[in-house]
Amino acid sequence: MKLLDRYEEVVGHQEVERLRRLADRLGGKRIVHVNSTRIGGGVAEILRWMIPLLNELGLDAHWEVISGPAEFYRVTKSFHNGLQGLPVTLKKSDFDLHYEVNRENAGRLNLEADVVFVHDPQPICLPQFTPAGQVGRWIWRCHVDASRPDRTLWKYLERAIARYQATIFSLAAFTRPLACPMFLIPPSIDPLSDKNCPIPEAERLETLTRLGIDPQRPLLLQVSRFDRFKDPIGVIKAYHLLKPYHPEMQLALAGGTADDDPEGEEVLREVTGYAGDDKDLKVLSLPPDAHRTINALQRSAIVVLQKSLREGFGLTVTEALWKGKPVIGGACGGITLQVHNYHTGFLVHSPAGAAYRIRYLLRYAEKRQRMGRVGHEFVREHFLFTRQLRDYLVMLLCMDHCGDGVLVV
Amino acid sequence: MNGGAMNEVEPFRLLDCSLARRATGRACCNLRELLEAVRSVPDSVLEHHMMRCALEDHFELYEFPNDLARWCWDGLGDHVLGEQIGLVDPYKHPSIAGVRATLVNLIEERLWGLERVPWCRSGLELHLVESLLIAYDTGEHIRTPAALAEAIERLPLRSLFFHVHEARRRTAGHSDDFSAWLEQLGEYEVLVEKLRAVDFYFLNLSQLRQELIDIFRQNLVTSAAAAKVTP
Repeated sequence: MKLLDRYEEVVGHQEVERLRRLADRLGGKRIVHVNSTRIGGGVAEILRWMIPLLNELGLDAHWEVISGPAEFYRVTKSFHNGLQGLPVTLKKSDFDLHYEVNRENAGRLNLEADVVFVHDPQPICLPQFTPAGQVGRWIWRCHVDASRPDRTLWKYLERAIARYQATIFSLAAFTRPLACPMFLIPPSIDPLSDKNCPIPEAERLETLTRLGIDPQRPLLLQVSRFDRFKDPIGVIKAYHLLKPYHPEMQLALAGGTADDDPEGEEVLREVTGYAGDDKDLKVLSLPPDAHRTINALQRSAIVVLQKSLREGFGLTVTEALWKGKPVIGGACGGITLQVHNYHTGFLVHSPAGAAYRIRYLLRYAEKRQRMGRVGHEFVREHFLFTRQLRDYLVMLLCMDHCGDGVLVV
Repeated sequence: MNGGAMNEVEPFRLLDCSLARRATGRACCNLRELLEAVRSVPDSVLEHHMMRCALEDHFELYEFPNDLARWCWDGLGDHVLGEQIGLVDPYKHPSIAGVRATLVNLIEERLWGLERVPWCRSGLELHLVESLLIAYDTGEHIRTPAALAEAIERLPLRSLFFHVHEARRRTAGHSDDFSAWLEQLGEYEVLVEKLRAVDFYFLNLSQLRQELIDIFRQNLVTSAAAAKVTP
């Protein structure tokens, strides 16, 4: 059975047929995606489903990954932080290393294509080292909020972006003025992946037991990398404010790690220290392929939190909504696109706000369940992979046909 | 787009559409900046925020049918201007120039009477976006009014936008594609009239679908469904 046939069961024949018709108009374009890791993080998860689907749609797509020494990932983690506005100190030698690793990779990777999508800043300098004519169009895909970046870093990146024919951001609020077109494509989730597919009840219960969580008592959950922008300490503070009113409550902070995130261990130590010895509070450091575990945790939660202070799109919010859970999210980034007060959850600005809204949702079970149903349908309509794939195809068509307004193809 | 002689009417070609959205890199923080933006942005930006934003409306979450009215209400807290812009129907204007002039007049008038320029708080800025609409044939060719009624119940809301909102823009407010096709078939004057009377800009796409379904149910005379169409 083809992948697309399997997806038809979730999104319907009509949606898949429309994708095929759009893809037909692209005439088998050769497409390459380049990022910095095959495992861990939202980009790798997106590419894992996108590449085979593009191929099934008749396009010629493949995935390349840049590699470099450990020091390179420390530098690109600083890029990641600096791009999102955290103060960072970058030396000339850091930029030199980034530049050199890009040069080495450009010679090693297979980048011959009509369109190359470069994800995030790690491989951003590749166009500088690729022979003219090898790539039809370069498109830079920025997955984070780049609206207030570190100035020195942005000057460096801006020079690299000048070689691209277009950029893609998740939200208009994440952009800065650039000379090339800035397309807007929110990301999405794969409903059949291990992280989002339905799982047997026995497996769910077994997962909770294995992690030391009582299946009989309510569970609050935040799933995210151990990153200060995700405010895991703020989540624990909210839980502490709630606990006197709901002593039966449990909290799990489940975090993955990624190859390209060397800061995660440090934040994990901070969080574990702050959590103390509360038996109802689990800080779970999960391997990057623990998708079914995360799936089981999300399905077991009574309310899911994503109390980020800065956020890209917030795919963990999408995942929770897909599983019918109301989400309490920090009012930032893509969370504001997904969490609508009283419809799919609540946006909050502080641990106190989070505790207050959790109390509300615990008090009104019917409203909680209704929000869960609305959230599920909301994701089906707007944030499943079919919509994202359609946006990519439409963008490529748009770039092939100059002009504004309406285009009938 | 579905032309042909009355007794040789071509089937209705069902189209789907999607937007390629592009950020302009420009944002407004206060009412004065909004006025400046409305005066100077390309037509495609106004078209997106006044018309195509209907494609982004979710679950009847929004009170007003366009982004500018919503931002005045939610972002600036200017409820008077929000209400006024909410009432601007861009499809009643033959061109974006007319919409622009109306908006400029409203915002100028409002600014004239205010002692302080309203600002939004950080994070609630209006980020200006433009879009290109790509429409494509779904391969579904509808041959009878009954089949059209059935299709309206299941077609994606994007198709509804193309055949109603976009058609109205294309025809300077005169007609949607459904009623234009039915008109060619003849025998459906009442249905055509009812479809054209729908206040579509006031409705979100889900509500519009329901309204169209109701109109077809109440007005489609089954015996007339045998109107001749070429295979």
